[in-house]
Amino acid sequence: MKTIFCLTLALLCLLHPRAHATIDDALSFALEAAGPYVKEGFTVREDYWGGDLPVKQKKAIVHQLFKGNEYWFWMGTDLESARITVHIYDSEGNLAEAESWNNKPHMAAARIVPKATGSYYLIVEIQKSSQERTRWALAYGFR
Amino acid sequence: MNRFFLFALSCVLAVGNALPGIAQEEPPRRIDVSALPATVVDDVVVPVPTEVFGVLDKLGSPNWHDVLRKIENPKRGERAQVALLLGTVIAEGFIAVEAQEPEEVKKIGRHVLNLAGAIGVRKSVISRTSSIIEAADKKDWARIRVEFDGASEDVKQAMIELKDEQLAQLVSLGGWLRGTEALTQVVSKNYSKDGAELLHQPTLLDFFQRRLDGMNPRLKRHSLVKKVREQLPEIRPLIEKPNSLSEESVEKIHAITSGLVKAIAQDS
Repeated sequence: MKTIFCLTLALLCLLHPRAHATIDDALSFALEAAGPYVKEGFTVREDYWGGDLPVKQKKAIVHQLFKGNEYWFWMGTDLESARITVHIYDSEGNLAEAESWNNKPHMAAARIVPKATGSYYLIVEIQKSSQERTRWALAYGFR
Repeated sequence: MNRFFLFALSCVLAVGNALPGIAQEEPPRRIDVSALPATVVDDVVVPVPTEVFGVLDKLGSPNWHDVLRKIENPKRGERAQVALLLGTVIAEGFIAVEAQEPEEVKKIGRHVLNLAGAIGVRKSVISRTSSIIEAADKKDWARIRVEFDGASEDVKQAMIELKDEQLAQLVSLGGWLRGTEALTQVVSKNYSKDGAELLHQPTLLDFFQRRLDGMNPRLKRHSLVKKVREQLPEIRPLIEKPNSLSEESVEKIHAITSGLVKAIAQDS
């Protein structure tokens, strides 16, 4: 009986999200995604965006970018099974990113070399998640 | 039972690791910005001056020594003035890094600590300022930039924890004003369309204006806050169109930001 209890508990721990997870955990994955790019000369900002979202609902972030820089935006979530995305659009609504990826657990990212200085839209989305709401954080770096 | 546990565990891990194999869905090529497919996050991350200064460096070789303003004893008045001043001093730190003046960087680091103390958040920047001083000795400019950015964030977070979010906004605003003053000084000296385009920052101006409009009546009555609130809208039409930022517009923006930064330093 004791073994069954331990087994159930172990499975629950594996399947259930961490009870004390916060935006900080989501941010730590975003910063982990940033790691390799820091070596390439990107400066990672200390400030970031974060929150929680239900599946298939998007959030838009309006952000100032400067022509002459290159930017990476790194998104993180504390939930391993979640699938998240970040995409970048210019002020006219055209997809403006040079590349993006979301094929690693906990992470997604998009890169842009802005063609003009001005406002851009960062669209974040939780595409798939086992939870009703999924925490996310978005950090960025430039060079 | 052990075998069952291992089997269950491997199933769980297999599900968890299946993600990398999934192909990425293509994002829409275009979205309608007048009816965004998403709710908009109200919070704006204000760029650090380095984001703009770095571009200026790529466009030419600005004389950052000319731009750097040596601060002796920052005049400390009410909390709103100190918050704005703290923002301008942190921005000065970024300029000192561009000018590669380690002694000035160290002095600015100490000013940041003192000003943070004047608004009750000294503790939050102690480790940042000692890192700034240490990195200045080593002329580790990249690290100093990170630490000034971190100092600014730590101060703002500490203020938010003290329920002083509006003062935290003033720190950002002060930094933006000094950064823009420096940018316009560099562009005025050697005008180029690309340099002037860096002033096209409608999102930031609208954000600051919204924040100033939403401040509590006591803060709104503060002479400096009032002055900034009155003069920011004068900048808005000048930066409206990215490709038509004339030399004259750049000079006008310089006059406005320069006047405001001076008023913040003199507490008047």
